[in-house]
Amino acid sequence: MINYLWENLFKRNEDHVSKVLSNNILFKDLNSSELKTVANFLHIRHYRPAELVFRQNEIGVGMYIILKGRIDILIESNATTVEEDTGDFITRLEEGDLMGELSLIEENSRRTASARAMNEASLIGFFQPDLKNLLQSHPEIGARILLRLSQVLGRRLSETATKITELKKQIQSIKA
Amino acid sequence: MNILIQQYRLKKIERLKLILFLSILAVALLILLKVDNMLLSFLLAFVLKYTLAPLINYAERKNIDRSHATLLVFVLFFSIIGALIYWALPYISVQLKAFHAELPRYIEGTRSLIFDIESRVEEVINTSVEFNLSAQAESLMVSWTKSLFEDLPNFLSKSLTTILLAPFFAYFLLKDSQSISKKLLDLVPNSFFELALSLQYQINEQMGQFIRARLLEAFIVGMLVWVGLSIIGFPFSHLLALFAALTNLIPYIGPIIGAIPALIIAMINGAGLLPVIGIYAFAQLIDMLFIIPLVVAKIVNLHPITVVVSIIIGAQLLGIVGMLVSIPAASMIKVTAQNVYHHLINFRA
Repeated sequence: MINYLWENLFKRNEDHVSKVLSNNILFKDLNSSELKTVANFLHIRHYRPAELVFRQNEIGVGMYIILKGRIDILIESNATTVEEDTGDFITRLEEGDLMGELSLIEENSRRTASARAMNEASLIGFFQPDLKNLLQSHPEIGARILLRLSQVLGRRLSETATKITELKKQIQSIKA
Repeated sequence: MNILIQQYRLKKIERLKLILFLSILAVALLILLKVDNMLLSFLLAFVLKYTLAPLINYAERKNIDRSHATLLVFVLFFSIIGALIYWALPYISVQLKAFHAELPRYIEGTRSLIFDIESRVEEVINTSVEFNLSAQAESLMVSWTKSLFEDLPNFLSKSLTTILLAPFFAYFLLKDSQSISKKLLDLVPNSFFELALSLQYQINEQMGQFIRARLLEAFIVGMLVWVGLSIIGFPFSHLLALFAALTNLIPYIGPIIGAIPALIIAMINGAGLLPVIGIYAFAQLIDMLFIIPLVVAKIVNLHPITVVVSIIIGAQLLGIVGMLVSIPAASMIKVTAQNVYHHLINFRA
């Protein structure tokens, strides 16, 4: 009975976590045994439909990878709040997507948007304390994750810089 | 509207989960306080955990898996401690026996010293009021030495369970630290999860630094006192160094308490006071100039009033052991309170 449960419930879940992790950009460089080590430092969190994962302006301490379900990213303004369902919709994230990665390295970083589960969702959480503990006991694995994370953040920075340049050009053309 | 109803239901579920989580914590705390030896076993286990954790992390960095690393560090640590006890115990027991035999002379000497001072004070201020400090000091010293020679061995033999349970708990706290903290955090409601994780990490880090720094400080001060007293051929150097190391764990007043027995012995034996004062002052100077700025400065500091109140409470609850445990316990409470307050103010915008 225990073996059956282990093989069919927990083992399947572990395999799914490993699969999602191995496909994620941050953990792509790790082999299966290293992924198993990293899995000890991760947290699986479950959310009900409409439940907030995090809220805009809250201090965030880490990132989430979607294991199951869909998550909406919303922006609140002075007139809108996520709790009253009046936040502005930005994007919908699906299985394997990651969010909040900046909070993994920035001290006291505040969330720039809110995240809300659209249906029953399971997320893999990876937080600053986990990364620090991982760096203490397995610095090589931690360094490879950090390298990938800096590549992701560098790409985001470059995309933002391009967007700003485009917007400046548009403003100049409008002014002209 | 639908979302609003869902939000209301979710908040209700979150509140229930929080109550459940806090109830589990309260029950665990109650068990710690009510079951004999449990609190002390866990406190000692945490001291062991924080002392050995960096060594286990180091072994893990050398590609030894955590279970083997924990076992290896435990075997090495307890072998070294065992060897040290095996080496030092004969010396300490000889000195303890000699000290016990000479104790009446020291008590009498201290009483007459205080009596002398008292008479001089009475002459100067010319008062008819009798302080009778010497008699009070004598009865105090008799009760202290009684507690050292009779109550402490009794306490130690009664606390065999504590002594055996603490390494047992510490072993599993170290081996399974990640999974234990993960399982505890699994119980935390989603809306408090990041806050709880962050709090747990900060408290863990600060307590680890605090305990390691204090132990290192006590060890270095004890060694300096031992070397100094041995060089000048002062009696009971092992005992006095051990006492100085233990009392050094108590901030502010600990170093003073630690030096008093050596000063009394020097005065009664008619030996020079200056070399003894020099040795204790040198140990404190090294502590203040090198150890505190390097390892202790970053950790939590308690106000002198808090220190004294904590020691009194500790002594009332657990005697000598309570005095030693009171400061780490008070610091743990302070770190937790500080972090909870900081997070309550800053975590949510």
